Amino acid sequence: MSKSISAPLLRTARLLDLVPFLSSHQGISLKELAHHFDVTTAQMSADLTTLWMCGLPGYTPLELMDLEFESGFVTIRNAPTLAKPRRITFQEVVALLLGLDLITSSLPEERNDLITAASALRKRLGDQLGLPIQLSALPTASAEISTTLANAISSRNGVEIRYHSLYKDEITTRTILPDHFYQSGNHQYIKAYCFTAREYREFRVDRIEQATSVSVPSDLMVPTGNSEKISFSIHSLSNSRESTERFGLSGKQAGNRIELSSFSRQWIERSVMASGASVFLESPQEIRSEVALKAQLILKRYTGA
Amino acid sequence: MSRKIERLINLTIALLATKRYLTKAEIFRTVEGYEGSSETKERMFERDKDDLRTLGIVIDVGSFDQLFSDEAGYRILSENYQLDLGEITPTEIALLSMAADAWQGAALAEAAQSAILKLSSIGVPADTIDIPALTVKLSNSSNDLQKITEAIANSDFLIFSYPSAQLHLQERTIVPIALANKSGFWYVSGVDQEIQEIRTFRLDRIDSELLTRENKEGFEFPGDFKLNTNETFVSDRTALIDVRKGKGHSLRSLATSSQDLGEWDQIKVPILSIEWLTAEILWHGDDAYVHEPEDLRHNIIKELQALVKNHE
Repeated sequence: MSKSISAPLLRTARLLDLVPFLSSHQGISLKELAHHFDVTTAQMSADLTTLWMCGLPGYTPLELMDLEFESGFVTIRNAPTLAKPRRITFQEVVALLLGLDLITSSLPEERNDLITAASALRKRLGDQLGLPIQLSALPTASAEISTTLANAISSRNGVEIRYHSLYKDEITTRTILPDHFYQSGNHQYIKAYCFTAREYREFRVDRIEQATSVSVPSDLMVPTGNSEKISFSIHSLSNSRESTERFGLSGKQAGNRIELSSFSRQWIERSVMASGASVFLESPQEIRSEVALKAQLILKRYTGA
Repeated sequence: MSRKIERLINLTIALLATKRYLTKAEIFRTVEGYEGSSETKERMFERDKDDLRTLGIVIDVGSFDQLFSDEAGYRILSENYQLDLGEITPTEIALLSMAADAWQGAALAEAAQSAILKLSSIGVPADTIDIPALTVKLSNSSNDLQKITEAIANSDFLIFSYPSAQLHLQERTIVPIALANKSGFWYVSGVDQEIQEIRTFRLDRIDSELLTRENKEGFEFPGDFKLNTNETFVSDRTALIDVRKGKGHSLRSLATSSQDLGEWDQIKVPILSIEWLTAEILWHGDDAYVHEPEDLRHNIIKELQALVKNHE
């Protein structure tokens, strides 16, 4: 559809879509109907009243649509012209195709029947676009891992995961009791009680390399431990997209002193190292000296000096 | 307002029901709601046609009578109005509902839901598909998707400023041809009008309002286009890197080959960009050491010298 569609036009579209919906859902309650179209029941009554005045030229009872909704249940008759649903718009097809693509790659392998059905459907929908454009959406985590975690949440079961911690640069095997998924920024996380760390932790789902369900004691009463954040300050010395994104800066802060904080000392150290000449860590002095020392040591290896 | 809505619906019904083209005079005479001077009616009709077009309803303009070809006639062809996806199965309806749900709270949620409403009007009930893992959602990191899909539909220009790796803002004008979501980020690909080559951009990096401009020239879709969300070109150059055993996991995941050297492994990693790989190597501190190529080593040394100088 187009730019911003005005309220009367949105209502026109709704009325046009109401006719085919009612034709295939005769006797639906007014309440349920309003819910389907995401409007109040008062609005839905008003919509039906307007629709009731529409029909073929002539506009006698013979030509007008016949709507009955006073009982609280809605039936429609004499509306053959609009009875078929409207064509789906370009944007609607794009939305469905991207959604389908995501779903298809998230389906578990054993549901091959659904995977086949989804790809056939994608092809058919794609033909509706009439343009050779490409659309793709990939889940951030593998279908198998997501399935295992989701199953564990619903059955309150434990999972043994191989987790890649980027800051520590280590892969650990932990047993967790997954609690819920959540989205933060661009990534999906899972909040879980970690039996290894003995506290609640958050794991980025795409960094879980393997997940196997295991049984764990189900009645847990564990306090959440809050770790201390480390404050640090940096100067952005030159313009680097990598560094600004790494530290979550706005890109216009070059030359300024910026105060930040992080839970992980390792993350600070590594991020400063990776930023090379573009960032200067002013404080804490401890990490600053560590960076200098490390850089010096590595430099020795390269230059042999 | 509801009179206008009534008129639009009556006009749609009349134009859909007619077997032949209707002239304006016939429309004004028979369709309820056209009142006032002939000028007023004309204006009303022009606006109504625009409004229906905005709703995606295509009005076919043709000759009412071949003998009197000077008078235009109007109708809506049912094949242009009606949904035609062929036979739809309950499984397909279920899959489409899941596809729409993936948009929950994200940019195209409304479009997805209105599509589902139309599809459910076919009257085919959805199968129940019980797969708990299908909680996947499309990320909501861009509010520009509607603008972009519209530009894709019309092959219009998208204009925005985009930072290079050195944060130099450059104005880009592209004709978009692809939209992708990967690792939670949205990417748009299109033919860059300055260089006439396909480029890919990450939407959250766009540093300006996203503008569209109508493309009045024809646009030819590039034939052999493969969607690639790597912004930089895939290179045939590789780096030879030593990584300490049990360390350097993200480097290892990029490696094309690995050789056991005892305390270390030697891996080959494709070079997407020298700057990016330098940062990746430095992130791993003394757990990674580059043998080749010389320009990568040189760049690492340069960055290390700056690190030492700045932090001493």
